[in-house]
Amino acid sequence: MKYIFIYGWVFISFLSCVEEINFVTDEEDFESALVVEATLTDEAIKQQIILSRTYKFEADGPSPETGAQVSVIADGETIQFTETQPGIYTSNTIFIAEPNVNYQLKIMTSSGKKYESDTTQLTQDTQIDNLYYQRITNDLGEDGVAIYVDSFDPTSQSKFYRYTYEETYKIVAPFYKNSNLIVTGNVFPDCNVALVGRDENVKTCYKTDFSSEIILTTTTDLQEDRVSGFLVRFLNKNNFIISHRYSILVKQYVQQPDAYLFYAKLKEIAAQGSNLFSQIQPGFLNGNLHAENNNQEKVIGFFEVSSVSNARLFFNFSDVFPNQELPPYVINCIPFSPQIIVPGLGGTGSCGELITSLENNTITYWEENASPEEGEGPYWVVPRVCGDCTVLGETQVPDFWID
Amino acid sequence: MKIICLCVFLLCSGFATAQENFPKVSLQVTEKSIPEVITMLEDQTSYTFYYIDSWIQEEKITANITNTFLPEALDAIFSNTSLNYYLSPDKKVILTKNTLIYDSLPEGFFNDEQEKTTVQKEADDTSNKQSNFNPVFLNASPISTTIETTTISIGKARKDALQKTATISGYIKDKKNNTPIEDVSIKLSDKNYGTTTNEQGYFELTLPIGLNSLVIKSLGYAPKKYNVLLYNDGQLSVFLKEQVENLGEVVINTNKDKNIKTEITGTVDVDVKKIKNIPLVLGERDIFKVAATLPGITTAGEGSSGFNIRGGKTDQNLILLDGGVLYNPVHFFGIFSAINPFTTSKVTIYKGNIPSEFGGRLSSVIDIETKNGNTKKLSGEASIGPVTGNVSIEIPISKEKSSVVIGARSTYSDWILKALDNEELKNSTANYYDIVAKYHSKINEDNTLEATAYHSKDKFSITSDSIFGYTNSMASVNWTHTFNEKIKGKLLVSNSQYAFSIDFDQTGNRDFSLGYKNNETHLKYILKHDFSNNHFLTYGVSEKLYVINPGKIKPVGTESLITPVTIDKERGLESALFISDKITVNKKLILNLGLRVSNYLALGAGQERIYATGLPKNENTLVAVKQYDANEVIQSYLNPEVRISTRYLLKNNLSIKAGFNTTAQYIHALSNNTTASPTDTWKLSDSNIKPQKATQYALGIYKNDTEGMYELSLEGFYKRFKDVLDYKTGSQFLLNETLETEVIQGVGKSYGIEFLIKKLKGRLNGWVSYTYSRAFFKMDSPFAEETINNGAYFPANFDKPHNLNFITNFKITERFSFSGNFIYQTGRPVTVPIGNFTINNSEFVLYSDRNAFRIPDYYRLDLSFNIEGTHKIKKLAHSFWNISVYNVLGRNNPYSVFFVTENGEVKAYQSAIFAIPVPTISYNLKF
Repeated sequence: MKYIFIYGWVFISFLSCVEEINFVTDEEDFESALVVEATLTDEAIKQQIILSRTYKFEADGPSPETGAQVSVIADGETIQFTETQPGIYTSNTIFIAEPNVNYQLKIMTSSGKKYESDTTQLTQDTQIDNLYYQRITNDLGEDGVAIYVDSFDPTSQSKFYRYTYEETYKIVAPFYKNSNLIVTGNVFPDCNVALVGRDENVKTCYKTDFSSEIILTTTTDLQEDRVSGFLVRFLNKNNFIISHRYSILVKQYVQQPDAYLFYAKLKEIAAQGSNLFSQIQPGFLNGNLHAENNNQEKVIGFFEVSSVSNARLFFNFSDVFPNQELPPYVINCIPFSPQIIVPGLGGTGSCGELITSLENNTITYWEENASPEEGEGPYWVVPRVCGDCTVLGETQVPDFWID
Repeated sequence: MKIICLCVFLLCSGFATAQENFPKVSLQVTEKSIPEVITMLEDQTSYTFYYIDSWIQEEKITANITNTFLPEALDAIFSNTSLNYYLSPDKKVILTKNTLIYDSLPEGFFNDEQEKTTVQKEADDTSNKQSNFNPVFLNASPISTTIETTTISIGKARKDALQKTATISGYIKDKKNNTPIEDVSIKLSDKNYGTTTNEQGYFELTLPIGLNSLVIKSLGYAPKKYNVLLYNDGQLSVFLKEQVENLGEVVINTNKDKNIKTEITGTVDVDVKKIKNIPLVLGERDIFKVAATLPGITTAGEGSSGFNIRGGKTDQNLILLDGGVLYNPVHFFGIFSAINPFTTSKVTIYKGNIPSEFGGRLSSVIDIETKNGNTKKLSGEASIGPVTGNVSIEIPISKEKSSVVIGARSTYSDWILKALDNEELKNSTANYYDIVAKYHSKINEDNTLEATAYHSKDKFSITSDSIFGYTNSMASVNWTHTFNEKIKGKLLVSNSQYAFSIDFDQTGNRDFSLGYKNNETHLKYILKHDFSNNHFLTYGVSEKLYVINPGKIKPVGTESLITPVTIDKERGLESALFISDKITVNKKLILNLGLRVSNYLALGAGQERIYATGLPKNENTLVAVKQYDANEVIQSYLNPEVRISTRYLLKNNLSIKAGFNTTAQYIHALSNNTTASPTDTWKLSDSNIKPQKATQYALGIYKNDTEGMYELSLEGFYKRFKDVLDYKTGSQFLLNETLETEVIQGVGKSYGIEFLIKKLKGRLNGWVSYTYSRAFFKMDSPFAEETINNGAYFPANFDKPHNLNFITNFKITERFSFSGNFIYQTGRPVTVPIGNFTINNSEFVLYSDRNAFRIPDYYRLDLSFNIEGTHKIKKLAHSFWNISVYNVLGRNNPYSVFFVTENGEVKAYQSAIFAIPVPTISYNLKF
């Protein structure tokens, strides 16, 4: 065989790219459709149904569907709902969804359009057996704390689970002082402030956030109906919300298969960026709601009646990450000293940033500036969030809170 | 070269007319040489034989003669040789080769009238024969030419020859590897009369008796000229030498005027040897990417696997490698094709009329041929590019008879993914390889055996916890047998397999390994029958057995709680009888009538889920589940498929063609992605999923200029689809036992106009293609869940109305050339959000009607500079450098636009695969 001489070199810069774009559709492309959030549960509460409409990208949020008549038919018996806040319809009485009862949702909007759901029944009741946290390093290599759920249905009837959570955390303002500045003169040359005591302790607050993801799991592919170590929430070690004490209430909804599928598809289509090379075909998802006498009108949402189980846990940062530095505060708090008066030419001038910021309530007092330099004012101040936790939460300790 | 032609013309008188004057002889010989026989005859008689030794060296005589008069004996002895004899009165036997010695002048020799004698047919008496001969005279006009000319005599002059014409037939083959050459033209040099060889290299040509000057020509081969002194029917077999490859020419059609002459509409040939100059991404010479620059063939984008041919979906193309089907021959998510360019000789794409011998897919047949290895000496080719290394070797096994060609390609590493500016892909790995081997053996004149084996594998991991892999495997055996000059048979046996797997390994209780596999065994017997001058028949039978293992999942590790699931095997048998008749009505009109009758049986063991009629298929409408035993027929479908095409020659270089084609397909790819992906599953038709069908009408006009410089074609088509598959939004196909509840079947239509102009010769060559085409589908049903866009027609994901390609090559010198591509396409349709909504505190988007918008138009310019090594004959190896830049303009062509809900907010993204110029150097070596 003749010899082969291979010689080659390569220079290459190979780039594929995914970039965020500003996507605008035309006015006439927008389609207004009714959006229904309706999950009745077996909790003894006044049940809630939320109606809204689709909205344009540039809009801030959904517009509530007000003035509608909402009722649920339970085996022929009508349960009336009343609008308690715009778009939020609450049952007139406390009621608990019962097993083996057929439920159907009926809606008539203020414009007289009628909608109804398919009938559905309460799902199997399965409790959360264990809710626990664990320090892990996730797939992206982030150090943090994971919140897991265990649950088991020995009857193997639950199979489809959806989770929501409410997380509550303690906030401690790092630059809190029990006195603050007030403006006493804001017209040049009378630009004055005074240091006064605070009426309220705004050092420690509590904030509750609601989950905004669709969290689902199914055990259909498992030999037993056992949810084991299912990750409901992951918090990065540097997430400021776990700085002091953190609590999470996890709700486990057992779903009907078609309700699960609806949420699963919704989630999948919403998360489709994951594969660069193939894109899931998006489109409209049919739920179990439809307009009466009009097959073609789009109605978004799924009416379901689910059993629900709640569990709550608490932990301190030091429980998970002993002897470690706290996560950075929500912003980087650096004291600064804005001018009180900005002098102009020939005795003119104006009140400085200290006055305007105080009037806009964007700063809090830190300490006196003993030797102001050129361009500085008489006090060191910090952005308000650093000294006043009410920017983020409320000072009221929640009922369930255990320190 | 001047030709020297000798004609023996002896005039003798007093020819003996009575047998009685001759001695009687007896002879029992087998396979004896002529001198031996002559000696035996001389011993028995007083006659002496005169001849030239060289005439009689090779031929052997077998005869069984008892007590026969000498002339009769000689007739018998020499009947199978090219020898004639003359018995002189002085007891001499003069042997001549081809030539006949006449002892009287023919009638009409001294006047200009042509043969006025009444020809007496089939005279059974020697005395009669003598007055009815037609001697062949050599026309004295001198013949001169610059091409190699050979003078030969064909046939034996017979005294009883009555005809004025004779037919020569034979094979034209490649001198190097002894393979037949198709479409070689054999023409009279001074007249526009001739024929071409068929795919076996066989030809037949009827010519006037006498001297004919024939020119044998084929592109890529050195032409040959023959001065044929034709006496009678005979054989002419010719070996053509490959012409020194014209450097840097981008030529797609190998055969001049083939585009005009063939009666099949909408076929495209890609000559693989000639595509090496075309700049391609990362230096990978890619047959499929070149094919996609031809009209009517598109891909959804740079990173998508599969083609869309004339509005067909990607699963509607039958990709054949030496007769065996390949399901997904692509690498690296579809960026590269998995067909080795070094071992491939030719790709023929049938996008219009599909010959009746092919079936099983709606839109096209992509017929890939692996080349036959060099039977004379070891040779090979190697290349090194940034992504892969490729080596092919041709090893002769038995000189001039059999050889093996082996090609192998592999990625060096997955560095390429590391270089990607994509966080998710940076942590990914991707590896692939493909290997192909072909053995071919010319067992004897009449039998040829070819065997091919192919394997490709891709393995990639996009997230740290899962590994995807897919493989294509194929083995085929082709046995060609020539029964006689008119009938040729071919037996094809092949087995193909496509499989993919997903391995998931994470903390928790759900580690698994998932597998999908389908397997197809194909048996085909085809006969090509040159029935008469006007009828060329092709007929045969085909059997395909499909076995699909639609999915299997098993737990991995002790902690995994995953239930092992195996979805029932699916089996189907597709049988077909096919026939086509190429009818040459006259020189201008050819009609090809084809029919394929396909019968599909969905076979047990298995279950049939029966749903309430007139209602959408879902869990609630399931009425019954019927069990079937092994090989029980669950459902059968019979489809006659008509394949008709015709050609009318308006002028010698201008023709129009029309075609009508119907096809049926029983295996379908299911994908919930907008473009094809390796984990798409294939599903067989059953009682719930009907076969897809298509009908195509095509019309084309073809023109070449007289110098063979330009080729022009304009084709139009209109196509209708029935029962094409689409899916409910968000469907899952893997491990789904009730796939029919996710599938919607509807109709489709596509139409288009395709224009192609090629410049075949000159320093600047290449082609320009422009296609205007549309493709639509419609999914309508009384039930909302089974409709898309309210049951109206919507554009297909790959509907790109305008498609323009410039492919050019400019030769600076024999060694240096520039190449450039420019490609423009309308952006493909996408489904985009038209509004938001909120559920569970999370923002989602409401999508528009399916494919109501388009991504921005696509355009790209690629340039390359090619350097050929010197053409020294004694050089050990021939080298070739290609320096190219893909996407010179750095156009950020969006491949897709997608919308993600992140932290409760909707964000729009666009992705591009090659968003910046990609320079590459690749080195190629041939030895």
